[in-house]
Amino acid sequence: MIWKTVLFILMLFVIIAGISFPIVENPAHWYQFPVIPGLEEKAKIIFFHVPTAWLTVVAFLVSTVYSIKYLKNKDLDDDAKAIAAAQIGIMFCILATVTGSIWAKFNWGSYWNWDPRETSIFMLLLIYGAFFALRSAIEVEEKRAALSAVYSIIAFVTVPFFIFIMPRIMTGLHPGSANDTNAGPVVNFKMNGNMMLVFFTSLIAFTILFFWMWTLNYKSIIYKDKLTKNIL
Amino acid sequence: MEGLYKFLETNSIYIVLFIVLVIWLGIFLFLQSMDKRIKQIEKEIKGSKA
Repeated sequence: MIWKTVLFILMLFVIIAGISFPIVENPAHWYQFPVIPGLEEKAKIIFFHVPTAWLTVVAFLVSTVYSIKYLKNKDLDDDAKAIAAAQIGIMFCILATVTGSIWAKFNWGSYWNWDPRETSIFMLLLIYGAFFALRSAIEVEEKRAALSAVYSIIAFVTVPFFIFIMPRIMTGLHPGSANDTNAGPVVNFKMNGNMMLVFFTSLIAFTILFFWMWTLNYKSIIYKDKLTKNIL
Repeated sequence: MEGLYKFLETNSIYIVLFIVLVIWLGIFLFLQSMDKRIKQIEKEIKGSKA
């Protein structure tokens, strides 16, 4: 499998370059990153924290797409694919929250201070937490699949608002807030060429990693289901 | 060895780098072995069907 080797090498590159390349005032060499005001040395979190938040959106989107598919075809395999994506999505959502919180301690001085960005991701965790509570509360398979599909579709409506809009229209400390001088280092391209290269390589590598994890997850759910029902 | 310790003391980012590399290797190998096992189950299921 060539893509696994590609994923391994891409992630290796992101880890080595993202962590060890120095951040300097005026980058003169190809391997140096520029100083982003307000972030300085801590800007390196961009290569790991932003992709986890990005995967949260991708995973919930995939979950919604397969929820729509389930409602259309009533195929339980689609339900397995939707739940598998949502499971990975919430895992990355927690990772984004935890990495962001640790970063906040060193950049803002406290782990949690209800910054708009922190509040919005907390709301998202609650919304998708309720999704799993809903699923575990229903025993009948078809009913559970149909209800969670509908819930997943409605829940996803809030995702772009909580991730992309709310933290940008409110004042806060997170890069890209309304009172920031720019829309954040990612949107405003405050990074130089090599920083962008590492960042977008990281996005690609994490996305491939997500699809691999998702495939393994839904396959194991489907096979477990079929084996327990003994319908093979 | 003494020199290496001194170097790492002032450049602790390389310790972070090493730990992250180990974590990535662990995740990759875990997914790889999961993939293999699931493919094996897939084969068995197809075999029992035929």
